Parts: sequence; C-alpha cells; structure tokens
Amino acid sequence: MDPKDLEPGIQRVGRQLAGAFPSRRGHPIKVLDERAMNLASQDAELRAALFRFVDVMPACRSLDDLATHLTGFLDEVGDQPPPISAAMKMGNTKAGRRALGAAGAAGVRHMAHRFIVGSDPVDTLATLRSLWRDGIASSVDLLGEATVTAAEADRYAARCAAALDTLSPAYAAMKPDELLERDAAGPLPRANLSVKVSALTPLLRAEAPERGQRDAAPRLRQLLRRADRLGAHLHIDMESLDSREAVLELVLELLAEPEFAAGPSSGIVLQAYLRDSPETLDHVLEWARATPREHPLVVRLVKGAYWDHEVVEARQHGWSVPVFERKADCDANFEALTRRLLEARPAVRVAIASHNLRSVSHAIACNRLLGGGDGDVELQVLRGLGDDLGHALAQSGLRVRSYCPVGDLVAGMAYLVRRLLENTANEGFLHGQAAGVPLEQLLAPPA
Amino acid sequence: MSLPPFANEPVLELRRASERAKLTAALGELELPLRVPVWIGEKWRSGDELVSTDPGAPERVVARSASATADEAADAVDAARAAFGPWAATPAAERAGALLRAAAWMRERRAQLAALVLRECAKPWAEADADVCEAIDFLEFYARGAIELAEGAALLQVPGERNELRYAPRGVCAVIAPWNFPLAIPMGMTAAALATGNTVVLKPAEQAPGCGLRVVEALRAGGVPAGAIALLPGEGEAGAALARHPDVATIAFTGSGPVGLELLRIAADVPPGARQLKRVVAEMGGKNCVIVDADADLDEAVPAILASAFGYAGQKCSAAARVLVHEAVHDVLVERLAGAVAGLQVGPAEDFASDVPPVIERAAQQRVRSYAERAAADGTLVSAQHDVPGEGWYCLPVIVGGLPADSAILRDEIFGPLLSVEPVRDVDEACDRIDALPVALTGALFARNPRTVARVVARSPVGNLYVNRSTTGAMVGRQPFGGNRLSGTGTKAGGGDYLLHFVEPRVVTENTLRHGLVV
Repeated sequence: MDPKDLEPGIQRVGRQLAGAFPSRRGHPIKVLDERAMNLASQDAELRAALFRFVDVMPACRSLDDLATHLTGFLDEVGDQPPPISAAMKMGNTKAGRRALGAAGAAGVRHMAHRFIVGSDPVDTLATLRSLWRDGIASSVDLLGEATVTAAEADRYAARCAAALDTLSPAYAAMKPDELLERDAAGPLPRANLSVKVSALTPLLRAEAPERGQRDAAPRLRQLLRRADRLGAHLHIDMESLDSREAVLELVLELLAEPEFAAGPSSGIVLQAYLRDSPETLDHVLEWARATPREHPLVVRLVKGAYWDHEVVEARQHGWSVPVFERKADCDANFEALTRRLLEARPAVRVAIASHNLRSVSHAIACNRLLGGGDGDVELQVLRGLGDDLGHALAQSGLRVRSYCPVGDLVAGMAYLVRRLLENTANEGFLHGQAAGVPLEQLLAPPA
Repeated sequence: MSLPPFANEPVLELRRASERAKLTAALGELELPLRVPVWIGEKWRSGDELVSTDPGAPERVVARSASATADEAADAVDAARAAFGPWAATPAAERAGALLRAAAWMRERRAQLAALVLRECAKPWAEADADVCEAIDFLEFYARGAIELAEGAALLQVPGERNELRYAPRGVCAVIAPWNFPLAIPMGMTAAALATGNTVVLKPAEQAPGCGLRVVEALRAGGVPAGAIALLPGEGEAGAALARHPDVATIAFTGSGPVGLELLRIAADVPPGARQLKRVVAEMGGKNCVIVDADADLDEAVPAILASAFGYAGQKCSAAARVLVHEAVHDVLVERLAGAVAGLQVGPAEDFASDVPPVIERAAQQRVRSYAERAAADGTLVSAQHDVPGEGWYCLPVIVGGLPADSAILRDEIFGPLLSVEPVRDVDEACDRIDALPVALTGALFARNPRTVARVVARSPVGNLYVNRSTTGAMVGRQPFGGNRLSGTGTKAGGGDYLLHFVEPRVVTENTLRHGLVV
C-alpha cells in the first residue's frame, strides 16, 4: 500500500466526519463547559489551581474546608481575573466561604456528570442503553482509590465481578445491532469492562515486575473466568511504563492458559507515545500468532495518558525520555502502528482510541484500502470528551465504543482529572477544533 | 579548566530487564573475600583481624581486613601531614582533575561497586546503585565547588589598598564514616577535604572495610597522591586515636549521636602543644517524623511512608520513625498502612522483589527486636506476620500505635524497620511534638492546602523537610543534606557551602600607596 493512495481517503473521511459533528448551537451548557475548559487550558496557573481543587475535594470535610482550599490554590494564581478576585473576597467571611464551597462543589459535580456515567454500574445502565440505541457500544472503567493493600485489591476485583454481573444481562436485553456485534473475525461481546492491574495488586514494582504479576494473577484469572461465563469482554488497561512489563506479561501469560483458549474475549493496550512501542507490538504479534484463540486478542491503540509523568520521571532520573516529545512524531508512530495492526488481522482485533480527527480518519481510510469492512476496526472515544466525535462516527456507519468511567462523582473526578487535563492540553484536536483551526490543518499528515 | 555544569549521575533504569540482568551478572562475578589493608602511603599491611560478612548470609565473608593500631593511626596522620604541603600547593583545578578521574574510575565499575555494596551491607539493588551514583556525584560536585572556591571571595576595595580573601586548606582531615552509605558518605567527606587541599585519613566503618578500600582505590587511581589519602580500617579505638591526634585539624564524621558527641568532646579538649583548634563536621542521627494532615492524599502518603520507614530496613539517617496523623484520617491511614506493610517482602538484598533486607549485624538485629518487644508491651502492634528467611539478620517490619508519650520508642533512634503512628488534633499539635525533640534531621508533610504547607515550613526545625514525598533519597546539588539541633553541626553535604567547613579564610590587605602615589 502506497501512502499516496491513502492520503486522498484520509482527507475524504476527515471532511465527511467533520461535517457529521453535531451543531453546538443547541447545547448552551456544553458551550459554557468548553469555554471554562479553554480558559483553564490557556492559563497554566489557573489550570493548576483548578486541578488541585478537584484533586483535594474528596478529602475536604466541609464547605468551609473546601472554600479554604479553593482560595488557598487561587491565591497562587499570579494575575487574577475578576471572577477569581471575587472568589478570594468571599473567602474572607464564614458565610462567604460556605457559599464559595457550595459553588465549587456544585461546579465539580456538574463537570463530573459529563465525564462519569454513574456512581455504580446499575446507575449507568440508562446511559449505556441510550448510547447503544445511538449505535455506540461501551467499555466500563471502575474508578477508585489506589490499591495499597490486599484487601483493596480484593475489593476492586469484587467491584469488577459485580460490574460484569450487572452489565452482561443488561446488555443481553438490548436490541440487536449487527454493526456492534460482529466483525469479520466473528461475534463481538456486548458487555465490555476495562480493568487496571495496578488496582488488582498492591505489589506492582517497576524493578520486580514478576511480583505484581504473580499477585494479580489469581484475581485476574477469576475475572477472566467470570467474563467467559457471562460472554463479556475483559480489557486490561495499560498505565505508566513502570508497570508495562508486569501488565503485558501477566495478560499474555494468562490468556495462553488452556482454559482461556476458547474465551473470554480479551484485550490489551498499546501506547503509541512510547518510542519502543513498535517492539512491543512485535512481541504482541508474535504471541498472537503463536497463541490461536477463538476470540482474537483485541489491541487498543492509544497515544497514552501518562506523558507528563513519563517525561518528569525520566528527567528526574537522568534517563532518556521514553516517550516522543514532539507531537508529530507520536502521531506518525500512531499511524504506522495503526497500519501494522490492521495488517496483522485476523491474529488480532484492532481498536483505535483517539480524538484526533487525522488519526481516526487515517485508521478508517487505511482499513478500507486494506479491504476491511467498516465494522472490522473499532473506534474508541472517551466519555465526556469524545462524545461528539463518537456520534459523528456512529452516524457515519462506523463501529464505535465509548470508554465510560464509573464511580463516585467527587472521588472519581479526582482520579479522572489528570486524564482530562492531558486531553485539554493545547495540542489536542478538541482544543484546535474549539479554537477554530482550519480543517486542512487538522487533517494534515503529521510532520 | 572549563567543566560542563554538574548533573547527577543517572541511576540505572531498573524497570528494564536488561539492566537488572547486568547487575545480577556482576554479583555473580564478584570475587570474595576482598583483602583490605591498613594502607598508609605506599605501605600496605594485610591482616584479618577484622572480617565483614554478608548480613543476609553471615557465613559468607565479604572482606578480611587488617585492623589499625593506635600506632598506625599516628603513622597515618604523620604521613598525611607530610603530604599536606605539596597537595595544598597543587592548583585547585589539578586536584579537581584527580577527583573527576576517580569519578570516571567508579563510573566504569558501576555494577561491580553496587554488587559489593549489596554484599557487604545488604543494600538492595536500587539503593546500592544509588550509593555508587552518589559517591560519583560528590566527586563531581566538590571538584567544581573547589575550583570556584579557589577564586576567593570579593571584598570591598578602596583606593590605596588591595584586599583579598583566599580559602586555605586546614591540614589533615580524619574522616570517620558509617556503613549505611558505605561508598557515598566516606567518598563525600573525603572528596570535600581533598578537593579543598586537605589530606585525609579515612577510617571506614568496621562493617564495611571492603567498600572503604574501593573509595581509596578510586581516589588513588584518579591521581590523588598516595600520601594524601590513607586507609585506616579498624574499630572505634582507631577512630578515637585518630581524632585525638594533635595534628588532625578537621574531623568529618557521620554516624551515631553518642560517637558524634564524643568526637566533639575530643575536639574541645586542646592538649598542651596543640597548634590548631579541631573543627568537627558531624552528621548524626534523627527521629524523623511524617505529618499527615486531614487533606492528605493517602494514596500517595501510604507508599511514601512505607518507603521512608522500611526502605533499607529503616537504616538511613533520613528514615521515617514516627507518623503524626490528623485524628480525622488516623484510623483509615493505620488500616491502609497495616494492610500495606503486610504485603512487604522481607528477603535478601539481591532479590529485586525484596522490600525489607536484613539489618547490618547481629547486634543490630537484637537491638531492633528488643525495641519491637518494648513497642508491643507499651503500645499496640498494627502489622502482620511475615515469612522471614532462616539465616541472616532479618527483622520484621513493625508498625506500632497507642504508645504513651514518654515511650522510648518515640524518642530513641532505633535504626531499624519500626514505625510508630500517633493521632494529633491538627498539624500544629504535630509541630509542637516535633519541636519538643532534641534532634532535627528530616521530616515530611503530607498536606494539600498551600497555607498549611507554609505554616509547617515556618515552624519546622529539621534540616531537610519534604512536602508530599518520602523522607529519604536526598540528591547531591538538589537536596543538600544535614540536620540541626543534636542531629549535627548544621552542615549540608552536597550543598554549595559544604566545602567552607574544610577551609580557613585568610585575608591579605596590601597597602598600595608609596609616597602618596597608588602603585
């Protein structure tokens, strides 16, 4: 396949998708939210203050306490715009603090509703049904505190098991949707849960990966068995590079066990921002070809959500930075990996998780050029951030899955906020789109 | 000589399997036991009066060492005194060159040196590697600092006179080093003294003569003259004889409080015929506290507290010993700490999966165990049982709560894996308790309100306060390290002003007026 042949397809798909985006006129609240997020993403100090506020909120014990924290953070914003000066004044009286605390809490809850589909799986079913009706599947992600004890790992595993028990019958009752339920490799499970290995064990150690691997294995095995019994898909998320070896080896080892050859459907994540992700893909593909499964391994390709962490950690230790530091390099790698993954079918199934219009259009066009049907590649978006893109994709007859965080609104928001900030960073597509960057530029090849 | 700016030697990226494999291979190739001499000038006396063993497998001998006599201590000082003149007259840049070559010598042997640290002191890989890196950092950092110091300091100038301030080395420096950073700390003190033109007699800890030998080898390989650095392995008496010698101008010490105070007494006693006041640079113990406020992120506080208290089995001067936690989150913190400590793996240092290695020697094991028994009697143990290897000086990691205010556990430096937890009404009460301590080395605060952070910073007496991170892991040039109160003489290893303790300022004022004319 010649890149020359691909480019016109990418442009065509990109323009078509951009045209399918819902109009914002009808959503005054969304416009307001986006304005707030833009404000935050333009002023680094303000962004830091808001980040710290959302982060500390679950630990605040009263409205007064909340307001004290909020004004404490805002105090460090150098050039205070008028609304912030007003907030600082409110912090001077008890009544003012109560009002400010209430307003802050309401603000975070309001924001949380956009990104968190419910406080527990039962709570989410209405939203998941409505997504399914719109032609969008889901993957549920359970938010929670970090796991530092075995009891916490057990609790997280129990929450995952309960989520599978809830999601599976609920999805079984939904109307058939051929596009979401089958691709060239066979049937696709409806219920889909994403889990984190760092929550399944307190023993992840970067310099001793086998330790966390060993400790997480029994809990993950139980979840795989349950998913298999319920016909659900279990996806194992990838986190920072410190745990990559443990996570990848754990999943590949368990899925190679004979009892899981026939199921469940399962998958891993490949992070395109890692410079050595092509070698990781070599390893995964080698495994996939040597380990035939009834449900091919799903590889979800993402850019990666720990960019800042990876850069800071490497800089602090004097290591070479493991991630691409230029966005265009990362985007180019994303496209190269997309193509390799699509060409590796049927040994793997492919899910492309990106909000970058160019990356998504590239995947769609590349799949078509390789002779795949539109249902043979999955496109994933993040709930709350990629909703418009998700709907545009679904309306264009493409197969979409929305990654849906579930958890306590306040505590969950603290865990989510980092991911959101990563996605509101200046270079993100959404930001570019909101800032009115011309479509040609958004669709230009990475360079 | 123009040097690139100082940068910390990068620690190994142990999350990569290939790096771990290199270290394991180096350990396999380590040839033991080492022979460690009393090494004065070109004179090399072997012996096996002193034996260091692997704390994780005590039948394994790591080094057979001579133990210096009082006469040898005197010989070493005499030799160092004889070498002082030429070394002091060597230009700072040349002395720095020797230190930089010593750094290069160590850099070429990173894995082997880490393997020796691991064997002799049961320091786990990541920390053994960091020890080697820190030794290299001290060489690089002080080499640069000494070049800068040789410029002297600017003084006010008026017409008709020329004022100059120069820093001159003080003479012979006795370096008395501990075993817990068996390369980094002796190298740090020695490098500071050498860089500024002093000559050194190094007495390494009796538990780590092998590492002491490597320090001296590195310096001599780098080109430090044989007379300028002597190796004097031995026990306490050798150190005392060294410190008492009238020709020792500076005593650089890192170790326990009682020994540090004894050295200060020795230094204060000026014998008849003495020609110089001894200066003591002492880094002693602490009773390091972690404050956890109600708004702390416990997801981060729990692992950081564990690393601070149980990393290297609590045998760092910077290790956390007490947690002072806001009563609103006390119970949940204790529950999470107890659960987390139950997951720790007690095992040999060479196993990358070990969290808590053995302590240094049998006496240490007995001391820590007796404190643990006392903790159980005075308070409530909140940690669980572990599997512990049969041989080796292992101690269980212990967390204890409910101690009475006068418990020795809250006061003594235990230097082992024992952590106490106490509820407090608020951070101010925590600050009061910390302020009541006679020692002030490190501390940590977990809090998210910037005003709370500012309040605690203003009240904290400690030499190194860490906000929202562990109390251990100070880096040269980034966290100059050292304590206040009875924790030390207030010097900061790895800091910009450390070298000033090894020199004496001399001011020269020249009248430039001749017959009313400026010449």
